[in-house]
Amino acid sequence: MLDIVFFLLAFFAIAGAIGMILFHQPVHSALSLILTIIALAGLFALLSASFLFMVQIIVYAGAIITLLIFIIMFLNVKESNLPKEPHKYPAMVVGFVCLIPFNILVLRAFYKMPSSQNIPLETDFGSIKTLGWELFNQWLLPFELISILLLVALIGAVVFGRKDEV
Amino acid sequence: MIEGSLFPYFVVAMILLSIGLLGVISRKNIFVIYMSIELMLSAINLIFVTLSNHYHSMSSQIIAMMVIAVAAAEAAVFLSLIVVLYKRRKSLDSDIFVALSQKESL
Repeated sequence: MLDIVFFLLAFFAIAGAIGMILFHQPVHSALSLILTIIALAGLFALLSASFLFMVQIIVYAGAIITLLIFIIMFLNVKESNLPKEPHKYPAMVVGFVCLIPFNILVLRAFYKMPSSQNIPLETDFGSIKTLGWELFNQWLLPFELISILLLVALIGAVVFGRKDEV
Repeated sequence: MIEGSLFPYFVVAMILLSIGLLGVISRKNIFVIYMSIELMLSAINLIFVTLSNHYHSMSSQIIAMMVIAVAAAEAAVFLSLIVVLYKRRKSLDSDIFVALSQKESL
């Protein structure tokens, strides 16, 4: 049963990703990316990361991609404003061939990984409580640095959006 | 070698990362390039979550959460940059972004 769910989710994730880089209109690409993101959230749930499942749907699909679609519709892009891409498919074929050695290398690295201990996961693994415990005990400084990064990004976006010449 | 039940997750993440890289190098539409970068970040997230399941450790999930936060910060800056450049040039071609490296071209 779980295998069928996994294959469905993996199929939708990969199909959405392929559609994303093939569609000409940015709106279609963005909708295709939403499919990928939600399928990835399902994969997180299968890996018993329940909190990340929610974060993926709320933050990624709900905030980031929605912001992206909002910007695409806000700009009201006409067909004449889209870039001409005459070398799209040749570049994809050449890139695909160039990526095969890289993928072989990655697969070899996965095969060399040490095996894990064969004990089952705890029942509250991946829940919000265990994640918060770990976050505020061992990862407090990176957490604060992330908040500073978000503040800097906010200021940067405001500076870019000013009306006068930057 | 890792056990068989987790290996397909790595393969899916690897395929998604490759597709994202293909999108970055083959497309010129700046929105698609941005979405490809997001896709690569998500693929790396999937690897982190799979490793968290593999090693029974919560640290990887926290790193994945931080990657999501970095992606959110990136979205704010990248999209406002696209809006500014589109207002000036009326094009979504990524080649207009060479304007950022030249002083007088805007």
